[in-house]
Amino acid sequence: MALLSNTAVLLGKELRTEFRSRELLTTTVVFILTIVVLFSFTFDPSVSESRRFGPGLLWLAFLFAASLMLQPCFLREQNNDTLSALRLSVNDPFAIFLAKLAANTLFLLFTQVLLLPVFSILYNVPVLAAFPQLVLVMFMGSLGLSVTGTALSAISAQARMRELLLPLLLLPLLTPVLIASTEATAALLVPNPAMRWDWMGFLLAFDVVFLTALWLFGEYLLEE
Amino acid sequence: MTNLSSVFAAYVIGWGIFFIYYITVARRTAALRKDIERLKNSLNRGK
Amino acid sequence: MSGCALADLSGGSVLKKRILVAAVVVALMGFAAYAALFIAPTESKMGTVQRIFYLHAPSGMVALLSFFVCFVGNLAYVFKRQPKWDWLGVSAAEVGMAFCTVLILTGPIWAHPVWGIWWTWDARLTLTFVLWLLYTSYLLLRTLVEDPDRRALVSAIYGIFAFLDVPLVYGSIRWWRTQHPQPVIMGGAGSGLEPTMRKVFWFWVLNLVILMIFLIRERYALEAMRGEVQFLEREAEAA
Repeated sequence: MALLSNTAVLLGKELRTEFRSRELLTTTVVFILTIVVLFSFTFDPSVSESRRFGPGLLWLAFLFAASLMLQPCFLREQNNDTLSALRLSVNDPFAIFLAKLAANTLFLLFTQVLLLPVFSILYNVPVLAAFPQLVLVMFMGSLGLSVTGTALSAISAQARMRELLLPLLLLPLLTPVLIASTEATAALLVPNPAMRWDWMGFLLAFDVVFLTALWLFGEYLLEE
Repeated sequence: MTNLSSVFAAYVIGWGIFFIYYITVARRTAALRKDIERLKNSLNRGK
Repeated sequence: MSGCALADLSGGSVLKKRILVAAVVVALMGFAAYAALFIAPTESKMGTVQRIFYLHAPSGMVALLSFFVCFVGNLAYVFKRQPKWDWLGVSAAEVGMAFCTVLILTGPIWAHPVWGIWWTWDARLTLTFVLWLLYTSYLLLRTLVEDPDRRALVSAIYGIFAFLDVPLVYGSIRWWRTQHPQPVIMGGAGSGLEPTMRKVFWFWVLNLVILMIFLIRERYALEAMRGEVQFLEREAEAA
């Protein structure tokens, strides 16, 4: 299907652009790491406390990181004037969004999977037992972050004060993702980890709703 | 009956917010109306 | 320009009509307050302070209604691109914010005398706060985009996203709260309302809906006038 092949080509471009410099991934990883360290000063990091507060703080860190990492998404195109070229290269402008959100999901997931072992060691929270399930939760959460973040990045790119605006627009919107991801993660970091399919259902609903909204309205954000 | 002061405070705040909002809209509307008159006059003079 | 007819509010009879409408609204509000303070019976458990309920709960309902009107305006603008839908959107959002603010402020005033705490993160209050943040962002976004058409379009799309989020936010907070319960201090709207109370409650709902319509119309007129000023300014430049 033309949409999928266009998306695949554009996704390749996004990945190649990032892996050439790796600046986005590096800075995001270091940023999350910094927050994880700073969090250790805000509560007593014993094992039981870490299990209580850890998942929430971890996902807060991911949320903040995402709201920073998603800014260059459309800003890059605007600054280099490549947006019109992108639009001409595809039949369906949704391919541009699909490619960007797929790339952003992969980047976010990559940073999260990288930092999970670090978090595990620093806070003495076992993650190996439920690692595949945790990756699934992180994937669904990252998808939610990316779908909304990519759309809002296109919006904030057209406004002033965009560095402050994107977090302001994005973070309240992501409340359901924060709650669902935190709960699902918390249930996997206990001695008897269990998969919270109800919260995964929530994340799925969130992703479906906003992916549909992006499909319906995204092209208008790319208008001149 | 000391709670009556809370009830009073709540209603005053509630109405206060609606009233203040209405006043700000009304003032801006009046100011804009003056602007429109001024612009219309300058356009008519221009013609 | 469809807004011009609305903007030409300089006639004497039109002014009288507006004053009359405003007077009716004020009278209604006055009677509603009387009803809440004197007609409604005192609640057995919480006493007099429960009377705040008649302002608090309907404000919440009307705030949501206002945001829904904003949502409709946003949708209409994206598909039709007529400025009047943008005017409706921003008006409904601002009015919704007014009701939302009243909700957030009356909550603690009610809670403190009864439960000794100013705030609790129960489902409804938390949702209200998130709603407040979402539409503050909507209004803030509008101030940061210069071009009127672009501003209308991007804020409409953000408004659509924000409103679609509302049921998801409410659902997730409620589901989360069923597992980590907090003291529910407001109670359900219909829980244990005797007939007189129920009548006063619905009268307040009607009253606030009328107030909402009135405020949206006033704000809409202002926005329509702004459109006319821009139009005239462009003509003045051309002349």
